[in-house]
Amino acid sequence: MNKYLGNKAAIAVFVLPALLLYSLIVFWPLVQTVYRSLFDWDGVNTASFIGLDNYKELLDDDLFWTSLKNGAIFAALIAVFQIGLGTLLALAISDAKVKGRKWLRISFFMPVVLSVTVVCQLWLSIYNAEYGLLNKLFELLGLSYRQDWLSDPGVAIFAIAFVNAWQFMGYHFALLFAGVKSIPEQFVEAAKIDGASKWRSHWLITLPLLKETYRFCLVFAVTGGLSAFAQMFIMSSGGPGTSTYTLTYLMYRSAFRINEFGYGSASAVVLVLECLIATLVINRLVARERIIY
Amino acid sequence: MTILSRLRHRSLPSRILMGIYAIVSIYPLFWMLSYSLKNNNEIYVTNPFGPPLHPRFENYRTAWESFNVPVYFLNSVIVSIVSVIGAVLLAVMFAYAVARLRWRFRETVRTYMIIGLFIPVQVVLLPLAVLMRDLHLQNTLLSLIVPYIAFNLSFSTMVFYGFFRTVPTELEESACMDGASLYRTFWSIMLPIVSPALATMVIFVFLNAWNEFPLALILISSENLKTLPLGLLFFQGQFTTDWGAMGAVMTIASLPTILLYAFFSEKVESALTVGSAVKG
Repeated sequence: MNKYLGNKAAIAVFVLPALLLYSLIVFWPLVQTVYRSLFDWDGVNTASFIGLDNYKELLDDDLFWTSLKNGAIFAALIAVFQIGLGTLLALAISDAKVKGRKWLRISFFMPVVLSVTVVCQLWLSIYNAEYGLLNKLFELLGLSYRQDWLSDPGVAIFAIAFVNAWQFMGYHFALLFAGVKSIPEQFVEAAKIDGASKWRSHWLITLPLLKETYRFCLVFAVTGGLSAFAQMFIMSSGGPGTSTYTLTYLMYRSAFRINEFGYGSASAVVLVLECLIATLVINRLVARERIIY
Repeated sequence: MTILSRLRHRSLPSRILMGIYAIVSIYPLFWMLSYSLKNNNEIYVTNPFGPPLHPRFENYRTAWESFNVPVYFLNSVIVSIVSVIGAVLLAVMFAYAVARLRWRFRETVRTYMIIGLFIPVQVVLLPLAVLMRDLHLQNTLLSLIVPYIAFNLSFSTMVFYGFFRTVPTELEESACMDGASLYRTFWSIMLPIVSPALATMVIFVFLNAWNEFPLALILISSENLKTLPLGLLFFQGQFTTDWGAMGAVMTIASLPTILLYAFFSEKVESALTVGSAVKG
C-alpha cells in the first residue's frame, strides 16, 4: 500500500503543475515586489539599487499618509456597517418565523454576485448630482439636502466606502447566519427560561459563540478595506484632489501613470505589512479557542 | 398558541429592519433594471423611481450593436470557462497528492501553498505585468487566464484537501487490490466522491473570474481582448448622454451571475462563504 500511494511519478504529475504555476505567478512576483522596492526603476530601463530610500520617501509623502488614513476609514466603515448590520439581520431572520425568509436572504445577498464595475457604475448614477437617485429621493421627501456626493473632499471617501459596504454586507450576513444556525437552540432557550429577554440572551449566549465567525469577518473586512482600489479607480480617480487615495491606488498611480515601479513596489510592501499586522492583531484580540458543542 | 402570543412572537422591530434593508439592498438593482428600459426623459423627469411604463427594449439593441459588448461578453465567457477548468483540475490533483499520497515534503508544500491565501492580488500587480510582458503573453487572453488559475489555486486546494482528508483509506486499498492504477483510482473513485466540492469550487472560480477587475485593468489594453468588467468602464464617457443604453449594458453584464445565483442560491452562498472554514 505504501508503494502504491508512494508512486513518485504519479505524485509529480499531480503536484507539479499547480506548484509550478503558483510559484511563478503568485509567489515569485511577491518576492519581486519586495526586491524591486529597493530600486529606483521605471519598469523598462536598468534599475539602480537605492536601499530603503523609497521607504524614506514614502514617509515624507503627504499622499502616503492620506492613503493610510483613507485605508483606515474605509476598513473601519465597512467593518462596522457589514458586521454590525449583518449580525442584526442574521439574528432577526433566525428568530422571526416570517414568511419569505428565503426572499429576504436572496435580496441581502444579491449584490455580492455582481461585478465591482457594475456596482460602481450603478452608484455613480445613484450619486449623480443632477439626476441621481439619491438627490431625487431627497427632492421627493422635500429635503434640501441635495449635493454632489463625490466632489466634496470630505464626503467622497465615505460615499465610496459605502458602496463597498453595501455590496458585501450580504457576504457577512451569510457567514453570520450560518454561524447562528449552527448554535444548538437549547442554548438560547435555556437563557430564555432563566428569564432573559430574547436580545439579552443573544447578547450573552449567541454572540460569544460566534467568535470564530467574527474573527474571519473582521480579517476579511479590514484587509479588504485597507487594500481597496476598484471603487477609487472607477468612481473618483483618487479625487477630488487626492482625497480618496488608498495605498493600492498610490501604487497603481506610481507604477502605471508616472513610471516609478520601485516607489510603487514600496507602497505595495507597506500594504502587505499593514494587512499582516491587522490580521495578527485581530487574531490576538478575538480569542482563538475552538468552540465545540 | 393563541393569536396574541403569536403576534408577540413575530417581533415587529426586527421585521421592520429586515424589510427596510431588503429594500436598500435590492432597490438599486431594480432601479438599474428599470432605467435600462427607459429613455432619458423618463429617467430624469417623468418617472425616475418606478418601473418602466413603456419598456424600451431598443436600449438593449443599441447596447449590443453599437459597441463592443458581444466581444467583451465572449471574452468573459472564454476566460471564465478556461479558468474554471484549469483551476479546479490543477487544484484537485494537487490536493489529492497532498492529502492522500505518501511522500516526504507534503506538509511543507501544503504550507507553502497556504501562504497564497494571504497575498492580496494588488500586491503583485506590478511584477505580474512585467512578467507577462517578458513571457510575451501580454495582450492575449492567456495573460488573464493564467493568473486567474494561479490565484485561485491556494484557496481551492485547501477546500479539496479538507474533503479528501475525510475519505477512508480503505477505498484506495481495495482499488489497489483490484489492480487499478493510481490515476484510475483518482479519476474513477476519488473524483466522484469529492463532486460536491467540485461543484462548489466551479461556482467560486467562475464568479471570481467573471467579476475580476484589477488584473484585467493592468494586463489587457487591446479593445478586442477586454472582458466585461473592463469594457464596461469605458462606456462611462461614451454613454453619459444615454443612461438607458448604459443600464442595458450593465444588466447584460450582470445577467449570468444573477441567473447562476437565482438557480443555485444556496450553493452559491456556500461556495462564496466556504472560505471562513479555511482561512480561520
